[in-house]
Amino acid sequence: MRVPLSWLRDYVEFDFLPEALADRLTLLGMEVQGIERIGGDWRSIVVGELVQVTPVPATDRLSLTRVQLGDGHGELSIVTGATNVAAGQRVPVALPGAVLPDGREIRVARFADVESHGMLCSGAELRLTHDADGILILPPDAPVGRPLAELYSDVVLDVDVKPNRGDALSMVGLAREVAAVTGSPLRWPDTRPTETGDATAEHVQVEVLDPALCPRFVARFVDAVALGPSPLEVQFRLTAAGQRSVSNVVDASNYVMLELGKPTHTFDAAAVTEGRIVVRRAAADERLETLDHVVRELDPETLVIADPRGPLGIAGVIGGAASEVSETTTSVIIESAIFDPVAIRRTAQRYALRSEASARFEKGQEWRLATIGVDRVAQLAAAWAGGRVATGMVDTNPVTPPLTRVPFRPRRVARLLGAPIDAAEMRELLGRVEIVTEPASRSDAVPAVPGEPPRPLDPEDAASALVAVVPGHRRDLAIEADIAEEVARVRGYETLPAALPSTEMPGYRQDPRRTVDVVRELLSARGLNEAVTHALVGPRDHELLAIASDDPATIRVTNPLSADHSQLRRSLLPGLARVLVHNERQRRGDAALFEIGAVHELRASDAWESRQLGILLAGEWRPGHWDEPGRSADIGDAKGLVEWLVARLATGNLRYRDEVGTHGAVAHPGRRASVAFELPLVGLVELGEVGELHPAYLRSLDVRAERVAFAVVSVDALETLADTQRRFVPVPRVPAVERDLAVVTPETLPAGEVERVIRETAGPLLRGLRLFDRYQGPPLGRDEVSLAYRLQLQAADRTLAEAEIDDLVSTVVSELGARLGAHIRG
Amino acid sequence: MDLRSIEEQLGELESRALAAVADAADPDALKQVEVAFLGRKGELKAILDGIGRLPADDRPRVGAAGNAVKQHVLAAVEARGHRLDQIALEVRLAAERVDPTLPGRPLRRGSLHPVIETTREIVRVLGQFGFVVYESPEVETDELNFQALNIPPDHPARDLWDTLYLDERGFDSDGQGQEAPTRHLLRTHTSPGQIHVMRQTPPPIRALLPGRCFRYENVDASHGFEFFQLEGLMVDEGTTLGHLRGLLDEVAHALFGARRPTRFRPGYYPFTEPSVAFDVQCVICEGRGCPACKRTGWMTILGAGMVHPVVLRNGGIDPERYQGFAFGMGPDRMAMLRYGIDDIREFLTNDVRFLEQF
Repeated sequence: MRVPLSWLRDYVEFDFLPEALADRLTLLGMEVQGIERIGGDWRSIVVGELVQVTPVPATDRLSLTRVQLGDGHGELSIVTGATNVAAGQRVPVALPGAVLPDGREIRVARFADVESHGMLCSGAELRLTHDADGILILPPDAPVGRPLAELYSDVVLDVDVKPNRGDALSMVGLAREVAAVTGSPLRWPDTRPTETGDATAEHVQVEVLDPALCPRFVARFVDAVALGPSPLEVQFRLTAAGQRSVSNVVDASNYVMLELGKPTHTFDAAAVTEGRIVVRRAAADERLETLDHVVRELDPETLVIADPRGPLGIAGVIGGAASEVSETTTSVIIESAIFDPVAIRRTAQRYALRSEASARFEKGQEWRLATIGVDRVAQLAAAWAGGRVATGMVDTNPVTPPLTRVPFRPRRVARLLGAPIDAAEMRELLGRVEIVTEPASRSDAVPAVPGEPPRPLDPEDAASALVAVVPGHRRDLAIEADIAEEVARVRGYETLPAALPSTEMPGYRQDPRRTVDVVRELLSARGLNEAVTHALVGPRDHELLAIASDDPATIRVTNPLSADHSQLRRSLLPGLARVLVHNERQRRGDAALFEIGAVHELRASDAWESRQLGILLAGEWRPGHWDEPGRSADIGDAKGLVEWLVARLATGNLRYRDEVGTHGAVAHPGRRASVAFELPLVGLVELGEVGELHPAYLRSLDVRAERVAFAVVSVDALETLADTQRRFVPVPRVPAVERDLAVVTPETLPAGEVERVIRETAGPLLRGLRLFDRYQGPPLGRDEVSLAYRLQLQAADRTLAEAEIDDLVSTVVSELGARLGAHIRG
Repeated sequence: MDLRSIEEQLGELESRALAAVADAADPDALKQVEVAFLGRKGELKAILDGIGRLPADDRPRVGAAGNAVKQHVLAAVEARGHRLDQIALEVRLAAERVDPTLPGRPLRRGSLHPVIETTREIVRVLGQFGFVVYESPEVETDELNFQALNIPPDHPARDLWDTLYLDERGFDSDGQGQEAPTRHLLRTHTSPGQIHVMRQTPPPIRALLPGRCFRYENVDASHGFEFFQLEGLMVDEGTTLGHLRGLLDEVAHALFGARRPTRFRPGYYPFTEPSVAFDVQCVICEGRGCPACKRTGWMTILGAGMVHPVVLRNGGIDPERYQGFAFGMGPDRMAMLRYGIDDIREFLTNDVRFLEQF
């Protein structure tokens, strides 16, 4: 809400500087988000009088003016292209050296061989009006020679009025807040029109067929209006408040909306058949050309203002083109109604027609504003357009509803605020915002929770309870907590004593992010950069993972901002790959990245959220040095990271399998494995996948790196490992016995199988197993490979005898032979 | 062979042996010298083997002289050995010298994302006051994201949260209408977590709910359609607005310095009453007024308030007995203020040159 201070001063006195006023309003809950100074940038712009206007020879439109600038300033010759100038007018003159608000500097210039010593300004050039076509013609009494800034400068506050305070979307509403700060009285404008015409009812009849959607409709009639521009000061005010000036009659309606917060509508009375207005729901097949010249299909949910021939406008949202007030209008019907807020909000949304009017209607309207608003519009229209106001008004529901009474317990309010405020002070504070208080009676009950029956007063509260009588404009005050906020707000939140809680502590709860944080610390310490990428990705990201764009398990957004962010990700890899592409373009292809985040899919008809760890290693994984070359990462590095992570979180063994996982489509077919963890007594816990990305996938994403290693690990699975108890194993007093075995197997046999057989056969005596060499070549067969393992053997309770060790090793050897067809080399 | 000639031979052997020891250039040569003179087949042995041909009276004298020669030569060998070790060490040290000003062997730097680290820092601060972490889902329903938080359908305040809605196909719901209770959406704030926590935990509650949120919002330097929030909730029998103020001051001072002024003022949220906006003095201009703080000297870092009685009720908590506060802050915005980052888009771009700074 833009609030010109010159306008605000009509209703309340204050002597704050704009910044101080802005601060006070902000502390009262009316946050000022900006302060704009109109005319603050006017320099060397003064009032001049046109002494003479003559055409510039040999030009179409240019005029040469002689401008009188008052005592001591003499006259200037100025060329203008405007056609609305005439001798005797007073106009704004930008002198040479002046700078206009848009930054244009005025200099002496030549037009068609005629020198021009300045510029005559339009309203738009000064940002005083929206009119850019002609020169701004000032009132005849504008003092010649005076700087314009002394006459017309203003300060505009941009106030963020919250959705619960529709009453403050107006000058009077905000003046009321200022009055609460200063203690000075609110000055209501005199809104009574002078009635000189015959009875309104002779010109207008109103029938409301749906009183639930339109509880009140008030109308007046003004005839003999002469359409034209509004007074200059009104144009300036509307412009400063962000409203375009249209014509005196339309401006009167807009002025009242901004002044009182009451949207009204003016109809050209000639377009309203027989002056008969019917407020009803639209029929299914009805259409209406609205003010924006769009023909709209109406629906039965829509409340319309109609005459016997059909709809004239969509109630509370937009008028119709046919009944629009125009240059030929001579008589007008003024509508000032109360509509159901929800219906207006829905209608405005349905037609995508949110307006200043609908924004106010949907927040609810003060009952009495219906009559005050119609009076004020009629009064201003008559004053500005010279009309004749018919006597009386048509009012479909003149019965004023009773004011809301909110009984409250001062003790309870003080307890909520944690401040020692007594009942007397509360009454004084509430009085400052027009809330009258009175002692509660025994039958009063406290509205504590909306939608629930009010609570009868406890005996201990009966004597001290009060009733807040809520003024009609405050539709936001309904329960005790609302009154507490009002007390705190008027007193100032700054006055509430700050304290640290001394109340009961909750019990211990393990941080659900503990494992995540451990993993983050470990990976960053290993040199990886943590990334956070979008949770919403595009269909193409999923298609590349071989998840069809219409895969039923993918969760989609119906109103995405772009297709690139329209599906909830099912893997972290696409996002990380995009980060890699970005960094490669910045010549930082040495990206070692990880992210931990949620992935989603539909499972059992509900959203299934799980946490995933994604790792991407590209470019120089081991940095080069002056005496050592760098090295890029491969599947081995990805495995190493996962092994190391798991070793830090749990005790047990990883198992790799040559299997195609969910990332099979983007993995190098010869360099990928699934990873599982052998959890004692439980079995295999699937962790995820490791490998290198498929060169075709890299190419389709425009990744330049030859080789990119990745790992995708379920964080939920990691957590189950981390939660298992780590048990101390006594440290043996003597070193373990080491035996080396070179196992010759067919090249196609996965090494994981050899390892598995060794572990299973050797049993608990095997303390360590390490592959230290892998050899292919003579004297081995062409399809053979030798895997050299070092076995560490040890018993916890005794020294192993040589014979026992030999037995164990030969059992391992024979099992390898029996189960895998392997033999021992040499 | 007579005594004199043997003594002469011993004397001559000693002087040759000592000279050879002194000439030995390395441990191997020294060993050879030792063996040649003192070994089982060495020269000393050869001389002493002739001792049997001497008169018995002379034998002890020759034996003593031979032993003295042996001791002298052994001492010289040992001394020479030490010296050679020392020389070898000096040679090695000289040979191994490097330019000590050369750079070290680089390790990858690694980093933690500033938004997540800022979240963790706030959790750490509030953890000292007994707050514990919960998590709640990113996919929510209209019921939990709005209605349980006192934002019924068609409420004007809905305009504060532009929402990304989900395709209902596949969900176990009829998906009737945009604002139907079962309508699925991406949470617009972490506040639905309040309901989740209240429904699973009886008071006293001191909870923190960090997480990713989504809004239908065009991206610019201070807005994104994905961003982070950290929700706080405290409910028990005596929690007051004053306690909220006290705790928020602690958070502000922990993050922005112990002397940083704060401002506690009215705000508006349908799920709190009274509602609060909380400002810290602008960290860029120190309150003098600058474009970043829109010349107000203050920056709003969070919204808060006393939990609305309807919200307590929807969480299964008796609002007559219990009261409490909730707050929601943006770790991205906090990180921007903390590190002087002027564009929220940096966080999701993940430029390595950005990430490396944290």
